[in-house]
Amino acid sequence: MSGDSPKKIFIMGLWKDNPVFRQIIGICSSLAVTNFMINSLIMGLGLTFATAFSELTISIIRKFTPKHIRMMVQVLIISVYVIMIDIFLKAYYPEMSKALGPYVGLIITNCIIMGRCEAYAQKNPPLSSFLDGIASGAGYTLVLLAISFVRELLGFGTVFGFKVLGDWWTNWTIMIMPPGAFFVLAVVIWIARSISLEDKKKEKEVAKA
Amino acid sequence: MKKSFIFPILFMILITAFFTAILAFLNYSTADVIAFNQETELRKTILYVFNIEIPSNKPEEIEEVFNEYIREEVINGKKVFVAENEDNIIGYAFPISGTGLWGTVEGYAAVSKDYDELLGIDFISHSETPGLGGRISEEWFKEQFRGLKLNDDSGNYIIYKPAPGGNVDAIAGATLTSKSVSKFINENIHEFIKENKGGR
Repeated sequence: MSGDSPKKIFIMGLWKDNPVFRQIIGICSSLAVTNFMINSLIMGLGLTFATAFSELTISIIRKFTPKHIRMMVQVLIISVYVIMIDIFLKAYYPEMSKALGPYVGLIITNCIIMGRCEAYAQKNPPLSSFLDGIASGAGYTLVLLAISFVRELLGFGTVFGFKVLGDWWTNWTIMIMPPGAFFVLAVVIWIARSISLEDKKKEKEVAKA
Repeated sequence: MKKSFIFPILFMILITAFFTAILAFLNYSTADVIAFNQETELRKTILYVFNIEIPSNKPEEIEEVFNEYIREEVINGKKVFVAENEDNIIGYAFPISGTGLWGTVEGYAAVSKDYDELLGIDFISHSETPGLGGRISEEWFKEQFRGLKLNDDSGNYIIYKPAPGGNVDAIAGATLTSKSVSKFINENIHEFIKENKGGR
């Protein structure tokens, strides 16, 4: 197998097969860390790093790994990269480590990594797998940023900590609290799905003609 | 690949040993940096409660100022930070903690050397609602506690306005957090004064 073209991998990861709004995985963390945009960004970067390198490593050793213990190997490799992120944040970005709290460690259990490793890296060459990890991670990050943009703007009147709405703005506290995340996530999924439904209709029409 | 019994076990042992070694090395090489970061955080908090100005945010300078003013002492089996300015004791800082609305709130408080004035408080960890109870860690809330008189013998030092004798503003929309915070601060300070004032 020579692997998929980078363009196809990115279209799949960012849109057609986006982990959050198409596969509905990684929901826990997209609800938990989206109260500030900066938290979402760091979380997204962390997940992208972990997914990409786990997929790369798993893909490299996929031919030697006995099939019936592959899950154990995957979990081991994923944990290694996630602990690396945790140590890195603690040592060089202590503020960030404090803000994200236990969620960095919980990247290990994020379904996106396990899902991509099992579904993609197990069958594809290293380079494609690495790109697939970046694409899936980027898809996740974009959705997180979209949600946190709405939450932070309505809840604090800020974007990345900069004040954009004036004093006349009344903060919607509900947006900062967990229920706000449910509303925004649902709306994001709704919008994204309606758009991709139209895409499919167009494709059909083109095929007919 | 032929199915064998030994190979998967060997494979798993080898791969675990390999990755664990990498992590152990990383952990070892960053342990000092992480410990130093945590110390810096604590130093910032202690200097803040004594209202000693920090020249910059550089960890080294914070350490320098900290060593100039503060020394640690064990009083009645508890670790207490003592601030001194050219051999004159400014006051004592000690840990405070209690339950907020959602979870434990931890912090430090500092009292003057005669135990009659609250120098300041700071919170190091809490899990209150961001934007509501979470505002206890905002500057305007913490600054209100500076210079409060501690001469009520029953331990009711902090009273929210507009109650009679009120001296601090509560947080609008976070009544429960405000109440629990004032409750445990009052209790902790009262206990500290009772334990130490007589003995010294």
